[in-house]
Amino acid sequence: MPNVIIDNKPVSVPNGTLVVEAAKQAGVDIPVFCYHPKLQPVGMCRMCLVEVGTPKRGKDGQIETDANGKPVIAWMPKPQAACTTVVSEGMAVRTDTAQVADARRAIVEFLLTSHPLDCPICDKGGECPLQNLTMAYGPGTSRFPVESKFHNEKRVPLGDLIMLDRERCIQCSRCVRFQSEIADDPVLGFQARGRGLEITTLSDPPFDSKFSGNTIDICPVGALTSRDFRLSARTWELRDYPSVCAHCSVGCNLLIGERDHAIKRIVPRENEAVNEIWLCDKGRFAHHFATAPGRLTQPLIRRNGKLETASWNEALDLVASKFAEIKKQNGAHALGGFGGDRAANEDLYLFQKLFRHVIESPNLEHRVGWSATNVGADLVRLYGAGVGTNLGSLDKNVTVLVIGADPEEEQPVLRLRLTRSAKNFGAQLIVANGRVTKLAKHAKQAVIYRHGGEAAFLLGMTRAILDEHLENQEFAATRITNLSAFAKSLEAYSVEKCAELSGVSVEAIRGAARAFAQAPNGLIVYGREAMFAQQSDLAVASGIATLLLITGHVGRANNGLVALYPHNNSTGALDFGLMPDHGLGRAQLGVKGLAARELATGKVRALYVMACDPAADGAFVKPEFLVAQDLFLTDTAQLADVVLPAQAFAEREGTFTNTERRVQLFRAALKPMGETKPDWWIIAEISKRLGSGWNYGSAREIMDEIAAKVPLYAGMNYATLAENVQLPRPRAGQGNASHAPTEIAMGDLENISSGKTWASVAESDASVKFELMWNEPKGQGAGARGQYTLAVARVIYDRGTLVSQTPIVQPRVPALYLEINSQDAQALGIVRGARVRVTFEARVIEAPANVDGRVPPGVVLMPQNLGGALALPLGARVEIEKV
Amino acid sequence: MEHLILRDLDIQNIKNIAVYEEHGGYQAFRKAVKEMTPDQVTDAVKQSGLRGRGGAGFPAGVKWSFLPKGVFPRYLVVNADESEPGTFKDRQMMERNPHQLIEGIAIASYAIQCNQAFIYIRGEFPYAAECLEQAIADAESRGYVGKNIFGTDYHLQIVVHRGAGAYICGEETALLESIEGKLGQPRVKPPFPAAVGLYNKPTVINNVETLINVPLIIERGAQWYASLGTPKSTGPKVFCLSGHVNRPGNYEGEFGKMTFRELIYDLGGGIRNGKKLKGILPAGASGPMVSPLVNEAVLDVKLDFESLAPFGSLLGSASVIVLDEDTCVVWAAKKMLHFFKNESCGKCTPCREGTYWLWRLLERIDAGEGTMADIDLLTSVATQMQGRTLCPLGEFATSPVLGTVKLFREEYERHVKERGCWAKK
Ligand SMILES: Cc1cc2nc3c(=O)[nH]c(=O)nc-3n(C[C@H](O)[C@H](O)[C@H](O)COP(=O)(O)O)c2cc1C
Ligand code: SF4
Ligand code: SF4
Ligand code: SF4
Ligand code: FES
Repeated sequence: MPNVIIDNKPVSVPNGTLVVEAAKQAGVDIPVFCYHPKLQPVGMCRMCLVEVGTPKRGKDGQIETDANGKPVIAWMPKPQAACTTVVSEGMAVRTDTAQVADARRAIVEFLLTSHPLDCPICDKGGECPLQNLTMAYGPGTSRFPVESKFHNEKRVPLGDLIMLDRERCIQCSRCVRFQSEIADDPVLGFQARGRGLEITTLSDPPFDSKFSGNTIDICPVGALTSRDFRLSARTWELRDYPSVCAHCSVGCNLLIGERDHAIKRIVPRENEAVNEIWLCDKGRFAHHFATAPGRLTQPLIRRNGKLETASWNEALDLVASKFAEIKKQNGAHALGGFGGDRAANEDLYLFQKLFRHVIESPNLEHRVGWSATNVGADLVRLYGAGVGTNLGSLDKNVTVLVIGADPEEEQPVLRLRLTRSAKNFGAQLIVANGRVTKLAKHAKQAVIYRHGGEAAFLLGMTRAILDEHLENQEFAATRITNLSAFAKSLEAYSVEKCAELSGVSVEAIRGAARAFAQAPNGLIVYGREAMFAQQSDLAVASGIATLLLITGHVGRANNGLVALYPHNNSTGALDFGLMPDHGLGRAQLGVKGLAARELATGKVRALYVMACDPAADGAFVKPEFLVAQDLFLTDTAQLADVVLPAQAFAEREGTFTNTERRVQLFRAALKPMGETKPDWWIIAEISKRLGSGWNYGSAREIMDEIAAKVPLYAGMNYATLAENVQLPRPRAGQGNASHAPTEIAMGDLENISSGKTWASVAESDASVKFELMWNEPKGQGAGARGQYTLAVARVIYDRGTLVSQTPIVQPRVPALYLEINSQDAQALGIVRGARVRVTFEARVIEAPANVDGRVPPGVVLMPQNLGGALALPLGARVEIEKV
Repeated sequence: MEHLILRDLDIQNIKNIAVYEEHGGYQAFRKAVKEMTPDQVTDAVKQSGLRGRGGAGFPAGVKWSFLPKGVFPRYLVVNADESEPGTFKDRQMMERNPHQLIEGIAIASYAIQCNQAFIYIRGEFPYAAECLEQAIADAESRGYVGKNIFGTDYHLQIVVHRGAGAYICGEETALLESIEGKLGQPRVKPPFPAAVGLYNKPTVINNVETLINVPLIIERGAQWYASLGTPKSTGPKVFCLSGHVNRPGNYEGEFGKMTFRELIYDLGGGIRNGKKLKGILPAGASGPMVSPLVNEAVLDVKLDFESLAPFGSLLGSASVIVLDEDTCVVWAAKKMLHFFKNESCGKCTPCREGTYWLWRLLERIDAGEGTMADIDLLTSVATQMQGRTLCPLGEFATSPVLGTVKLFREEYERHVKERGCWAKK
């Protein structure tokens, strides 16, 4: 810990600390443009120049001291860049001298010589580091003759989402470094030199990255602007409301910038444990659904076959009376509900309460288009990653086994953070999948198994650990009841046999086993492709549990399971038991309700569908009485008898629980559209009409009840969840914008996190003992006739209701395609773009071929959420022909 | 006098390997590999006092000994980017005496235990590149380059890498970026290339002329070499002479022996058309101008790395450009700033913006549109670039301005008063 003196203030900081960071700790502000705490320093802009000296040593090597016994400092003749100078013992730094002030003035003056006078029309105005630092350090007037100004292109589209103004660019390379260092998509670069040095995109399509929007935030000037927000508001007219992304289950924290009751833009809100200061482009740009003109604004009732507007009372009365009538005639089992995992915790909690306690029916589901048999829910409750796990700063003491997941497409910011852990901090990734995924690039070990072989691979790892006695014996002795019996029962599965079944070499299995078992900490990230392993999903789940237990990688930070679920609140839906066999807090239930497929195919007389669209998901049979509660007239709503208009996340408050079980609060930003109501209100109104006597006045009250009733959520009220969340300041004319975007641009990060994570059983109860078990891996999927194995994956830009409302991202939404290996393509005479026919049992789908090296020979991949290929099972055997 | 570097002037066809061998070629390399340890070679170079000829004059042997112990592979990179205005010495060596350079590269590579050397050559020197490639092929055919050299287990590959026409790629770290296929921009130092160089491996970078001296040191001994020149600047030196002289060209002399008077008047045949000598740029565009009109003593200074300091200038790579009395210094400064604003890599603010600003100001003054305040602004802008740039180029770019304003301020004022250039009228 070198001791440094900065402007006479002593600080001691870790080895390797940069002067600019040490100064922050001493409370001394050093202005920067190119430096950003999230990026590697480059020393380009020269704004951070300071005077640096080191203790002077005499001929004898001893530090010379002055009359007061203080070390004599040898000052370097030239000022040094604080962002590239590393501290050393006894270093002295001066930032308050005339020389430093002159250097800062000079750099700002230089930057302004070729900067346009755009502030009045520049999107960055009001939160611009160049403006701020000019005010703080720059000259009052310019000595540069205006007619000599360097002019350049003002509107250069860098891809669909970002517009570059070349005149405003100060060549700091933050955008270039973000793309290569953080996003791991090195698609930006500089070209030419001197005053002509300019940013260019190196990819085709241009700026091909799912994270491009972040460059807008960290650009220290208005050079990179959002093509969505561009010129639509001044930043100080925006009121920033803290919210949480409504798309995937990373749960990125964000600010909704509102003006005139519309969302003008979405920017990240810092949460070091979730999204740091990043958002993916879907989260940032695909918000237009919230204010789309196609939103439902009034209740609808079907009269004479047509949906007609109705009052809330009419609609609610009708729903309640129909429910009551059917319950009376056929019992509660004749009613069922789909509560979609996009709804907030408060809605889901009330939805299950309505069914279980008012209607008294166990027929509850939330999984539309998702595996109904996965047991991840139990695994996460038991072994979910320890509280305090930060997936973005895992170090070399953590091995992460990522199995059957494609975080780049499923949960983009999570991929970015795992890459950061591996690249910057040395976390050991083992990425196992049936194909190549983006995350594999920084894996210590990338494993490609045969589809259907995932369970055998996990079993092989278990067997290898036991063979080599790498299990955690201390943990096994105290917390596992049956290790030796379990080991014995596995005898038939040698590593060699598992290698054969999984298509992974013996060495690779043993290597992964050692890396996982010998690491001080181990995490498993489990994704859609593993959860959907046809016929083997139970074997995969027990394989995961076994690996965690025999290595003792549970119950502590950086240990345990992270299951990647599809939607922003899938975890909440599991937590509140929107499943036929699990109740509140994921408790297993004795009574079982109907399965999703049965609910969707008319096995109930009345079906209440909230925030999901089962009719769009293939085989759906309309029940006698169908209620749809949504933002849009979905496929389900079009069939419904009553349609109830709900509010979007931006119009109300509530909480979502992310994939890591972090419960996060979001605030209302917009005035609700039309007569829309929050989901919880609608549910409560129906329940009242069924005699419940409920009386909820706000989402906050419901959360208080959740905290009291659901032990996992104990202590989670809006006050604790709001800790470290900047709340919108009261509206008082203009100037209410938060400082968060400015701070991100200036690099003044607060290193804060917010939200609360519930603890798994392994963590919260040290007395619980676990029993090991395993299931036979089953191997191949359905459709034995085909020659190719079908991989089904999700892509980030889908054809779903939400994304389709944002025109600007539509060029990024691909048409349905089939990915095929170049060897297979050649054998079939298929070239890139050629149409192919996929046959699975009786289904035939045609799509253009995408020939690349990401799927292995013998495997073809079809995205599941681009329409057309719905409900094709992963691992199925299919036939492929050229059309 | 015997030429030690420009041996092509004494020996016909020395670029032919057989001729080079007849004159003792590759014997020094043989001696190094067969009779000396790598450290002994480095020590000999240290004792010889050989200093880098690329401009900064850093002791070559000291640089070689900076490589961290035990880290391999390591690389030798030969800086043949020779792009400083008025510099053309390396080119003559590469085109006409390439084997002495190859031998120097081989000895240096052996000394630093590197098996892969790169010659980064200015892209506008295609003929020199071909000469080098031919020389490397010839050396390989005789076993001086390749595997198991002289029957030992030492092996060496030499690759010629052509630049793409950027002056900044002569700066050693920009050069490394360029070899790696990246945009040619200097890196932040430290770390220095000796520790983290090409492909992040320990790397020595030396100028062509530096390395062509090495065979002499091994062949004739460090003592002998150190006896040439002065105690601080040892050995022979090639001076590039250009500008308004009768016989421009490369002239070989010794450090501390040659004066401008000898170089310009005796060897160079004096100023063209009998004009008066107005200014000398000792280090191309990168060092401040000196003028015998202002201080005649400068003509008789014995030239070495340090001796021009009292005149506010430096020798650099000894690319001596001579300007006659008809030359307008404002015009000359403008030309030089045009060069620097084109060649600035643009990575750091003061150089990217400052060179452009200075050039625009000089254009104004040269065109007669300047004011007296512009002259002060000129020096103020140049001064505020100094000490703040990432690499020396930005610093170099201030010399044409500060040097000429200091020597000939009245000429700038005349441009303002007379609303234009006296020389063009
Ligand atoms: C802008 C700039 C241009 C340079 N150009 C050259 C060059 O063309 N050739 C050269 O040998 N050194 C050049 N140098 C110096 C090199 O950076 C480096 O100091 C030199 O190659 C080291 O070799 P030496 O120690 O043998 O002189 C240049 C330096 C700067 C800052
Ligand atoms: S566009 Fe912005 S972030 Fe990128 S180099 Fe220019 S100023 Fe920096
Ligand atoms: S990663 Fe997920 S949560 Fe984060 S911004 Fe993207 S879609 Fe939203
Ligand atoms: S001083 Fe000039 S050449 Fe050197 S890094 Fe800065 S901009 Fe590039
Ligand atoms: S040079 Fe340090 S902040 Fe840019």
